[in-house]
Amino acid sequence: MQYRARQAHSRSFQRAHGRALASLIALVSALALHASDRSAPATLGLPEVTWPNSQRASPAQIELGRKLFMDRRLSPNNTMSCAMCHIPEQGFAANELATAVGINGRSVKRNAPTMLNVAFNQFLFWDGRETSLENQVWQPILNPNEMGNASVQAVLDRINALPDYASPFEQAYGARATRESVAHAVAAYERTLLAGGSRFDRWFYGKDEKALNELEQQGFAAFKRFGCAQCHAYDEKSALFTDQRFHNTGIGWAAARNDKTYTVPLAPGVSIEVKESELASVSEPIPADEGRFEATRNEAERYQYKTPSLRNVALTAPYMHDGSLPTLEAVIEFYANGGIDNPGRDALLKRLAITAEEKRALAAFLRALTSEDQREWVRRARAE
Amino acid sequence: MGTLKRSSKPFALRAPAIVAAAIAAAFTLAPLTVSADETCNSPYISKLIKGQEDYVYVWALGMEGLGDGQDKLVTIDVNPNSMSYGNITATHSVGTRGEAHHMGFSDDRRFLWAGGLDDSTIYIFDVRANPAKPKLIKTISNMPEKTGFVGPHTFYALPGRMMVQALSNSKDHGGATGFVIYNNKGDFVAKHDMPTDNGGDGYGYDIGINPAKNVMLTSSFTGWNNYMMDLGKLVKDPEAMKKFGNTMVLWDLKAMQPKKVFNVPGAPLEIRWSLKPGDNWAITAAALTSKLTLVKRDAQGEWQAHEVGTIGDPSKIPLPVDISITANGKGLWVNTFMDGKTRYFDLSDPMNAKQTYEKVTGKQVNMVSQSWDGKRVYITSSLLANWDKKGEDNEQFLRVFDWDGKELVMKMQVDFIKNHLGRAHHMKFGSKALRKAMVEQDESLAEGAQSGAARVARSE
Repeated sequence: MQYRARQAHSRSFQRAHGRALASLIALVSALALHASDRSAPATLGLPEVTWPNSQRASPAQIELGRKLFMDRRLSPNNTMSCAMCHIPEQGFAANELATAVGINGRSVKRNAPTMLNVAFNQFLFWDGRETSLENQVWQPILNPNEMGNASVQAVLDRINALPDYASPFEQAYGARATRESVAHAVAAYERTLLAGGSRFDRWFYGKDEKALNELEQQGFAAFKRFGCAQCHAYDEKSALFTDQRFHNTGIGWAAARNDKTYTVPLAPGVSIEVKESELASVSEPIPADEGRFEATRNEAERYQYKTPSLRNVALTAPYMHDGSLPTLEAVIEFYANGGIDNPGRDALLKRLAITAEEKRALAAFLRALTSEDQREWVRRARAE
Repeated sequence: MGTLKRSSKPFALRAPAIVAAAIAAAFTLAPLTVSADETCNSPYISKLIKGQEDYVYVWALGMEGLGDGQDKLVTIDVNPNSMSYGNITATHSVGTRGEAHHMGFSDDRRFLWAGGLDDSTIYIFDVRANPAKPKLIKTISNMPEKTGFVGPHTFYALPGRMMVQALSNSKDHGGATGFVIYNNKGDFVAKHDMPTDNGGDGYGYDIGINPAKNVMLTSSFTGWNNYMMDLGKLVKDPEAMKKFGNTMVLWDLKAMQPKKVFNVPGAPLEIRWSLKPGDNWAITAAALTSKLTLVKRDAQGEWQAHEVGTIGDPSKIPLPVDISITANGKGLWVNTFMDGKTRYFDLSDPMNAKQTYEKVTGKQVNMVSQSWDGKRVYITSSLLANWDKKGEDNEQFLRVFDWDGKELVMKMQVDFIKNHLGRAHHMKFGSKALRKAMVEQDESLAEGAQSGAARVARSE
């Protein structure tokens, strides 16, 4: 009797539980549907990722790459990782620095570019000196001004001596860390940093008419009208907002010539003017930056730099290869003036007859290129 | 040059849920005898050198290509009556170059803690066993992993504890940071974030405690990105220049809770409480704006911040980097890095600090420490490895001056380049007499324990 009663009670509980579960699933589905109504899939507006040999990396390899990317122990004094310059919370760039600072505070001459959508870059680094992520991976690790390791072997020895890497490498590659597996894992992780799914994508590719407001739509029209899309290209299927080419805007040329005067903010509302020459006693000379020329030695390409994607551009200030422009408004102003005149200035650059309202619209449009799932990148990057 | 603006409106901070039980217990159990180190350190340090100091410990940054290139603790005999006056009695290299910066004694003055701002390693030296030759007894290398903070800067003794103010964090090398509390053995006890709400900007730098008023003041500098960066590059980077602290925070000491945030623009650095009985104020200098700020209780008992003086010509960024207050609270030494000047301010009226003396004491000067009696002034040269001047301007030294109230007269110097020591930064004093007193105290305690044990044995 007691047993039957317990069984009946159990069945009744299961039925009730089942009903509750079904309601919960329905609720979650409804919420998910609602959520998907409001935000686009992360890859909307992006082309397909091409994996080497058409073989997508395994989840274990990607997770290992994430761990390596975030790990400060990959520098000799445990201070620098890839993520210290490509900071997940700062759009995988570095908002607080014009140009990067490496191990022991050493000077890096260029701005740390975002790693978002790096899978689609035909050229890597501002001068495009590498074309494969696997080749690129070791450069900052070995660069004396970045992560400062003495050799590939020194890094491999360190990784292989860390107990928490034994199992992940075994699982991902069936062996201890090698030059190839480290490069493969980090590149695999970087290929997963996909960041489409902006409001622009919902509007343009998802045909959601309400996704962009009127000002942003006007901004897109201005973007086309003033020729921005000639370099920051898109098409009807996808948009990377880059032509994957190199251009001379004059910034590199000018930096090599002037005794520049800097406005130095000392505190909120307080600043002074300082000439570059006045800082000589406390300045380590930084090698000249000759752009694409450094990779090709082609004189015609001196002071040319890669066109960066505009996706998530609102998250990755400051701008240009040297981080010299602090805001999107400053960038728009720079191009409105046709860049800086110099012998190699790109023929596409010319002074624009653009109104203040059109500049405002352009800035609004650029801010609509931010992916809607940015918190998810950070969560994934920091997940332990 | 713009006008400095300050909001004196207090921010009533929400009491954050900070676990401070261990710290509160330490304050409760320890005697709150308020005394001071040689004018500038934790009031919980039990033994002072009020006469002639025998040694100065200099925490020196290794210089690439100079000697062994490692950070090292350098001990120098500074007693004019000693046969080895002016000699280096010991150097202890720590095996790496990690941006040696500041030091602090434990409350019993037996141990000297020292930190590296780059690699975040903390070293604990025994200075009791042989004050002429400190011995490294412990290294703490897991602060970033344990706390998320990097750049251990100020070492400030609490009863049985050491408080370590960090400058940055391991996530982005920016300025959001906090402080860590260890016990005197070097075991982690607790961590506290610097406030980022109600006006707090999250930056940290120095600590100054007034136990009688149950208040702690903290100041704010900048993160690893900036303090490790080449100074010229930094000044030219407007984004980086915006990332300096502009606040001081007043804390409820026992609760370890922030109570009020003061707007003090331009990176307020060292904090010095007046040691004169009855005074209830502390002073600081802001590095970028070259202003002296006093934090003082008003007639209603409310703590307020007041700008009380200007150091040199702020438009030239003289960069005031260290201050040292006289034991009677009447005067303040200020070192300005860029012009190499040591300046004296009369604080007879602390609300109106007046510069009365200045002298170029080096091509670049950083730390300034005075003896308790104010008759000797010690100066070192290095600010940060990548902020120091280049080429011939990169003098590295310890210089000892006599001060008669009118003129600084150099009596002794040690050239840290010629001696292959590196960049001379923070200084602390050592004494044979203090060591003797500590030994006698230990023997007395041991005898007491022995006779107590004998009494117990007899009664059994």
